[in-house]
Order: sequence, then C-alpha cells, then structure tokens
Amino acid sequence: MVTLTVDGIKVSVKKGSSILEAAQVAGVRIPTLCHDKRLIPYGACRLCMVEVTSRGKTRTMPACFNPARDGMEVTSDSPALRSSRRVQLMLLLRSHPLLCPSCDAAGDCELQNLVFEYEVGDLPFARQSRYFHLDNDSSFIRFNMNLCIRCGMCVRICEEVQGQSEISFINRGMNMEVSTDFMRPLECEFCGQCADICPVGAIASKWLVGTGRRFELSHVTTTCSFCGLGCSLTLEEKDQQTVYVNSSPDSPNEGSLCVKGRYGWTYAYSGGRLATPLVKKNGVLTETTWEEALSAVASGFSKIKKDHGPQAIGALGSARMTNEEAFAFNRFVRTVLGTANLDHGASSYGALVDGLAPTLGYPASTNSIREIRNAKVILLVGADLTETHPIAKNEVIMASGRNKAKVIVIDSIKTKLSERDGVFIKTPFGHESAVVFSMLKHILDQEIVDKTAIASKIDGFEKFLESLKDYDPENVATLMGIAPELIHQAAEIYAKAPSAMILISEGSNRAMSNAENGRAAAALAVISGHVGKESCGVMVFGEKSNSQGALDMGLTPKHLPGFGLLEDEEARKKFESLWKTKLPSSAGMNSREILEGAESGAIKGIYLVGENPVDTYPDRVLTEKALNAAEFVVVQDMFFNSTAKMADVVLPACSALEKEGSFTSSERRIQRVRPSTKEKLGRSDLEIFNDLSILMGNASFAYDSPADVMTEISKSVEFYAGVSYDRLGLQGLMWPVKDSSDDGSLFLYGNGYPHGRVKLGPAPELNLPKQESNQFLLVPGITKFHSGSMSTWGKSLLEVCPEPMAQMCSSDMSALGLEDGDTIKVTNDLGDSMKLKVKWSRRPLEKQIVVPYHFPGSKLNKFVKWNEPLAEVKVEKA
Amino acid sequence: MQERDALLKKKVVPSVEVIPPERLKLLDEIIDKYAGSTQNLIPALKEAQELFGYLPMEVQRKLSIGMNIPAPHIYGVVTFYSFFTITPRGRHTIRLCLGTACYVKGSKEILENIIKDVGINVGETSEDGRFTLEAVRCLGACGLAPVMMIGEDTHGNIHPPKTISILDGYQ
Ligand code: SF4
Ligand code: SF4
Ligand code: SF4
Ligand code: FES
Ligand code: FES
Repeated sequence: MVTLTVDGIKVSVKKGSSILEAAQVAGVRIPTLCHDKRLIPYGACRLCMVEVTSRGKTRTMPACFNPARDGMEVTSDSPALRSSRRVQLMLLLRSHPLLCPSCDAAGDCELQNLVFEYEVGDLPFARQSRYFHLDNDSSFIRFNMNLCIRCGMCVRICEEVQGQSEISFINRGMNMEVSTDFMRPLECEFCGQCADICPVGAIASKWLVGTGRRFELSHVTTTCSFCGLGCSLTLEEKDQQTVYVNSSPDSPNEGSLCVKGRYGWTYAYSGGRLATPLVKKNGVLTETTWEEALSAVASGFSKIKKDHGPQAIGALGSARMTNEEAFAFNRFVRTVLGTANLDHGASSYGALVDGLAPTLGYPASTNSIREIRNAKVILLVGADLTETHPIAKNEVIMASGRNKAKVIVIDSIKTKLSERDGVFIKTPFGHESAVVFSMLKHILDQEIVDKTAIASKIDGFEKFLESLKDYDPENVATLMGIAPELIHQAAEIYAKAPSAMILISEGSNRAMSNAENGRAAAALAVISGHVGKESCGVMVFGEKSNSQGALDMGLTPKHLPGFGLLEDEEARKKFESLWKTKLPSSAGMNSREILEGAESGAIKGIYLVGENPVDTYPDRVLTEKALNAAEFVVVQDMFFNSTAKMADVVLPACSALEKEGSFTSSERRIQRVRPSTKEKLGRSDLEIFNDLSILMGNASFAYDSPADVMTEISKSVEFYAGVSYDRLGLQGLMWPVKDSSDDGSLFLYGNGYPHGRVKLGPAPELNLPKQESNQFLLVPGITKFHSGSMSTWGKSLLEVCPEPMAQMCSSDMSALGLEDGDTIKVTNDLGDSMKLKVKWSRRPLEKQIVVPYHFPGSKLNKFVKWNEPLAEVKVEKA
Repeated sequence: MQERDALLKKKVVPSVEVIPPERLKLLDEIIDKYAGSTQNLIPALKEAQELFGYLPMEVQRKLSIGMNIPAPHIYGVVTFYSFFTITPRGRHTIRLCLGTACYVKGSKEILENIIKDVGINVGETSEDGRFTLEAVRCLGACGLAPVMMIGEDTHGNIHPPKTISILDGYQ
C-alpha cells in the first residue's frame, strides 16, 4: 500500500495504482479523454495532467500514466492546470468539426462536456478541416472519422479487451483515421465496444443515429437474458421501444457487453412472438381465451393424474426462467402435478451437478469471473469462450495480454484462445477429461505436489490414484496422436502456477462429456492446491441466463430448491412443511427419460416451459415421436416454435424484458431482472403457475409477486438467506449470503468444504474413440452471434449471422474442391442429409466440420443422438 | 441527416490486383523467416515489397495469417510509412517538389502538365506502368526551384512547358 494526498485528502491505495486511481478513491475527479479502467494507460490526451509535489519538487504529469507513490501531494486543479487543459481542448477542436447541434453524440460527448466545463471560447489559431467519408457499410456500427479525437480507446479495447484487433489507426498525419485493413466493412465480433467507448461520436451505434438525444431516453437496468455470465445492462428506451443497450461502468461487467447483450434484444419484438393462447380443436391449434386455455391445461393434467397417476406426467423447465419462476415451477410440479419428473436443458448441467458437487460440495463455480484476469495460468477444458461466453473470453485476453498468463486449451477444435501464448492440446470432441486425468497422473507421478499431504485431506484418494493407471501421458498421447510432452508441459505449468483457474463452458452440445470434464477439473484443482483462493478454482459457465439459478432452485429430477434431495427425508420435510403437502420421495426421470418414456407410453402428459426440445435437444426424431405419442402436451413459450406446433395447448409467455425477478449468474451472482416499458405480450411463467394451481385445487399456492417468492426462497434456501430485492443493487449479491448483513462471497471454500473433506471418485476407464479416417466428424458448434434458439427470432443477430455456415479447414476444402460460400451435402449413416454453405475457418481440424446448432431450420439435431453427441458423416460438394 | 452525410466525401475503394497463386507462394519463405514476432513485421513487409513491388491486399492477408498478426494492424503499418505502397509502382517514380519555393516558381503548372499529359495525380501510377507520381515538401534544393526527381536523377530550374520533354527521357 502507498499513502498520498490528493487535493489534501489522504488516501492509501495498492502499490502500482495510478495517481488517477488514487484520486478516484479520494473522490476527486480528474478529467480524462483517453482513459478507461479496462484499458492499459496510454497518455494521449494530456487532460489528466496534475501537479505532484514529492521530496520538495513540484512537477506536472499525467495522472493516468504515473504510479501513485508514498508521500506524494497531488493537486488536481490550479489556474495553470486549467489553462493547460484548455489548450489541449483547443488543439482537439482545431480539426474537430463544430457541428454539435446536428451531431448524434451531442449531450453524450466527453469532448463537448469538457469544452463546456473549461469554458473554451475562440480558438487562437486557424482551424483545419478533414474530409473523411462517412462509413455506413458495417452492421450495427457507423464510422464518422471527421469527429475522431484520436484517443485510441476504440483500437485499444478491440485489441486489449476483445482480442480482436479488427480496427487500427491507418494512414498518417491529418489523414489518420480508425478503420479496418483496406477500409473493408467490419467482420468481427460486433460487440459494439468500440462505439460504446468512443468519447465523441466518431464511432456510433447505428440505431442511435437519428433516434434522439441520449438524455431523452428512459433507462431500465436489468440482467442480460442470453448466456450465463449475467452481464448487467441498461435498456435505453424511447416511446416504449428499446433503441439502445449499454452497460454501466460500475456494473460487475464494467460496462462491457457482447454482441448478443448489446444488439440481440430484438427477439422480444419479433413477429413470431405469441400473444394469444392456442388450444387444439379438431387437430388444429386455434386461438382462444386465457380462461379456456388454462382450464384446458388444468383438466388435461388432472385427467392424466387420475387415469395414470402423477408419475405419468413429465415437466421440462428452462434455465431462462427467473429464480422466482423456477422455484414456483418446482413447487408446482412436485406438489400440484405431484410428479418428481422434472428437468431442464437436456440435462446439460453435468459439470456442476455430477462434476463439481460430488467432489467439492456445491454444484456451482468456485470463483468469480473478474478473478480470471489476474490468474497466472488459465486452463480451458472444452471451452470455446469466444463463441460461447465472449465476456469471459475478454478476461482470458486480458490475463494473457497484459499479465502474460499462460493459456492452456484442451479442445477438439482450434479456438481463438488457442492462438494465445500457452499450450494447445487437441482431443477428440468430448474427451477433454482424458487429458486432464492424464495431467493429474503426471503431477502425481512426478511428485510435483505432496502426495502424502493430499492423501490425508481427501477421501478416496488411494482409489483415485489407482484408477489413473491407464492415464499415463505417453499412453493417452499415443492414443490421441499427439506428443506426450504437451501433456507434461500443461500439467507442470498448471500445477506450479501461483494461481490457476480452470474454465469450462456448458451447453447442450456438450451434455455427454460435461460430468467427466467437471470431475476431472475439480480433481486437478484440488490436488494442485488451486481451490479456495483468489484467481483459482473451477468456473463452469452455463449456456443460459439462469443456468445457475435453475440448479439453485432445483430444476432437476432429484433436487429441491437449495440442492436438497427428494430422497433425503430432512430436506423433503422442510419443504413439505413450508408447502403444506407431501412431496415425491425419490428422484424422477430426467429429460431424456421423459421423452423416451413418452415414446414408450410411460409418460402421458408433458409440460414444457420455455423449452424447445424439438429444435434444441439431441435426437430430433425421438423428440418428435415422443411428443406425438404423448396424450397431452402443453407448451408455454414466447415463440410459436417447432415444439409449440406439436402441442395441445400453447400458452404465450412474456419475455425477460417484460417481467420481474432475478437471475443467478455462473459466478453465483444474484441480480435483478426488471421490466422495460415495452408492451407485455402473454403472461409471466409465475402468473401462469399461480393460475393453474388455483384451477387445479391448490389455493395455498398464490404468490403475490416475484418479491413474495424471493422472500420464500430466502427463508428456505440457506445460501440465499440474506437476499432480498432491496439488497440487489447494480452489483447484485454473490451467494452464499448467510444473512441480511452478509455481502456474499467472491469465491467458495476459502474456509473449508461444506462436507468437511473433499471426496474423489475414481476416474472412469480410459475410452478414447477411434475415428474412421474417411468419414467427417460433425461437431455441433456454438456461434457468438446466437444463443440457444431464441436469438434467431430477432432481426439484429440474423443480420451478422443469417444462416448456419459449416466451417472446414483449408486442406479439406481444397481436397473436395470447395470455395467459400459453396454448398455441401452432409449425409449420415441412415441416409439423412442436409445442405449447408461452407466457409474456411481456422477452427476445425482436419476431417471435421463445425456447424452451429442454433438454427432450427437446419435440423442439425437429427444427426446427433443422446449417447452419441458427434455424428460421423459423409461430406460432398452439392 | 442524409444531406449532411452526402456533403462528406465519398469512400475511395482501393483497387484489388490479382497476383497469381504461384507468385504468392514466394511469400512463404518470408513468413518462415519472420513469423513469431510482431517486431519482425517491418522487415517482412520490406522484403515482400521488394518481391512484388508493392503490397496489395492478398499479400497483406497472407502475411497476416502466416505471421499471426491482425490484418488491420499490418494495413496500419503499411499506410503509416511512406516507404510502403499498396498500389503497383511505375518503372520510374517522379517526386515533384510542392514546397513553398518550388510552388511559387511553377511546380503547380508542372503538376497540371503531368495530370494532363500522363494522366496521373499524386499517389497514382500510369496505366502503362511507366510512372508513379509522388509529391514531396522541399527537397532541400530550393536554389534550383522548381525541382523534380525522377528515380535518382534531379531536375532543377524546370521550365514548366518542358515537363513532358523531360519525361520523354524515361521510357
Ligand atoms: S465491434 Fe468489437 S470486435 Fe468489432 S471492431 Fe468494434 S470493438 Fe472490435
Ligand atoms: S474513433 Fe473515437 S474512440 Fe476511436 S480514436 Fe477516435 S475518438 Fe477515440
Ligand atoms: S450473452 Fe453473456 S456475455 Fe453476452 S452480454 Fe449477455 S451475459 Fe454478457
Ligand atoms: S487520460 Fe491521461 S493522458 Fe488521456
Ligand atoms: S521548396 Fe522545392 S526544393 Fe525546397
């Protein structure tokens, strides 16, 4: 710590902090035009000049650039500083057009604000005009370089934070501008961070152009409804229309958003949204009233209960429900419907529930997202974060860029992050855990860690050690056709690092391998001593906005809210007395079993809430058969999707922009979801559960509001005990929150494990697949532009990613005589085929085609089975 | 809004030259020699320019992929240094001085004559590949104003109407 004074205020800051940061701690504002806390200081604008007296000498220096030192006396304002700032501003105005009245950024422009604050009047020198073309060619973003003040923040955020380097300063002197190579339109992530950070209007979001002044817009702060990272965002609205989305610099995500968060909200305005309930009459889905639809649902399920018993009903929820809705859904399914058969998301939560939880205690990420940037080593296990969780990818970029962290990538495809400094280990898709177990074997064999010390702390260590016998790096490497040194290297880098994090991204395309990956990762972290500390542990990023919350609220076949098991009498008793009904006393069917059960006749009624299995679950054919075979299918969704088309009753649900509640992110952060001013379509899931339970004769089930449910959650779920809406500010709260004075925890297990000791189960038998060389492997990929099948309903993301493009490597493409944009035909063993456009990419390895699975039209899930997530296919030019 | 946009200058689209793939392969050697560090970009670009005479899009793209350096960064470097060019060079480079002394003594007319007769403006190359025209600010030979250099030769005290006959000496 260093101690200094800023304008007479004494502050202590961490060593290495800048004078600017010290001033911020002291509450002193220093003007800046080229600084952002996400960026490396640059020192271009010279507005942050301050006077510093140290050891009797006074000097003027930029505050953003210079470190705070002990005993400094900093003055942020003086006549001399004011006049130097005024001159800097005048120099900027020399070539900046003075067209503020017609500029879209007026009122939201740092330059304008400072020129006003520093009372800059006439310029004492001649103005110089620049004439740049106005570049409207890119999606979402427009460039007007006449306004650029060359602060470099756009170029830097694109490189230092996004890791994209899509834009650069080009040309020199007066002609210098920000653009791409050869001034082509952007072909990047479209995160919009460059537009957001531009202090003037030189790079702007197109949707703001001509919309009105920023200060005229109304603001609602809520949580992103796409992936599990839970970025906080602010909807800016005019006339009940969202026109822009941005994020506060004080949010957990520091103002950064990805393309989905910033531009993807148009799905809520899609013409495909359902507004009126539908009931099947004479085989045709017909519009009807809510009363009729709800009573059809109530009597349909009541009839099945009466005829076949409650276990003939299966319910699938979604990780897009709010915590409150998921809690109420659990209660509705377990008490009103009376069945244990409840699940969500194609059971794609294996890494948490079957991986982390049995070893460490909680089915939750151990640490927090913002710790990644300070980790010295980052191990990515099947985590193509650039595509799945872009904001977490930024953390890895920052760690490897400015902190020189090593990035170890274990994946079946090359990813953007495998280009960073570190190790890339290619594995067969879904067999990443084999490498992790092999790394463990190396660490233990080489005694890189103290075996005896570990053995005394871990249950089942001997058996675990025994189970690793086949995982010799030499053996695993030979089977996978890679060099064993890569495994040695990765193991040593990870185990010897002072801090190291493991990142896993979950998704329905990874359901098969998630559990093993989670188990292997937890074992590696524990044995290497990388748990319970800052910038360590295992993070599992969920695919959907409430992936963590859905588990916290027990949307699985065996759980109650708070991770208690149905089988466990004590846990059951707690909720039986809270809900005043009996609960099923054993685990129910999971999503696969429910669908297979429907096909075989054991399941007669299916209740699908926010889940679209026909388009997103493996084995489309099975799902379709199951829904056809079931007697009674209810779909509650925002959209009239392929699943809804097969339903007996369709209930329109409202979107996350139209309801209240909370989401829990993949760093256990509980954050508020707030409604925008947009017109509400349909009803919230919670309202529907309330109505249905009354119709089905359970009047005690009536929640007045989401806040009411949260009160019940905090009473019944230990680690939410201190949560209430008034405590959920911009930063939310990270569970466990023991009571109303507990501010939550950045990382878990700092003070030991909930079960006292770590438990290691044996590693599975080594079982690597052999690929026939002449067949291609169809790898279901994810693209950053879409999420599940929700985003394809919005126009915006379709603009940058309109269709699934199969990605192939250049040698395969030339072998088949393919060029970018050609069409290929993909055929599986059963003769099912689909046609796709193909493009070159660095991601797939030889004999792989990577296809994003978000597009329902491509019916990719016809090709994958529950137990075979990868299909061997024939690829030919169409 | 659109009116205001229209007032601003239109975008210049750089021409794309086609270099046959077998010639492009020559870059592999340069990539092998320099890949691995961003610091090596300038020497790599220099050698590439010696090879092709200029640095068109395909060359920059190939270097970008081969050296793992973002293409916008390469383009930024290429356009920053006047030494690099993205359009093909003529056989002879005319460097016409437009410094104050030369300008008042008639280099403006020399420029007009070149525009009229050779058909190229500053920064352009004639279609027959004969000349590339560059403007410079003061060659340090103001006593000889107006001055123009063609290749390594310096021509001073030029009588503007004689411009073309001077150029005739360079085929
Ligand atoms: S949108 Fe994002 S990735 Fe694209 S240029 Fe801007 S900052 Fe870079
Ligand atoms: S475009 Fe904006 S952010 Fe980029 S350098 Fe110019 S003023 Fe700065
Ligand atoms: S999709 Fe994920 S990374 Fe992107 S803004 Fe939303 S929460 Fe953040
Ligand atoms: S903010 Fe310090 S120089 Fe720009
Ligand atoms: S002005 Fe032309 S040589 Fe000096």
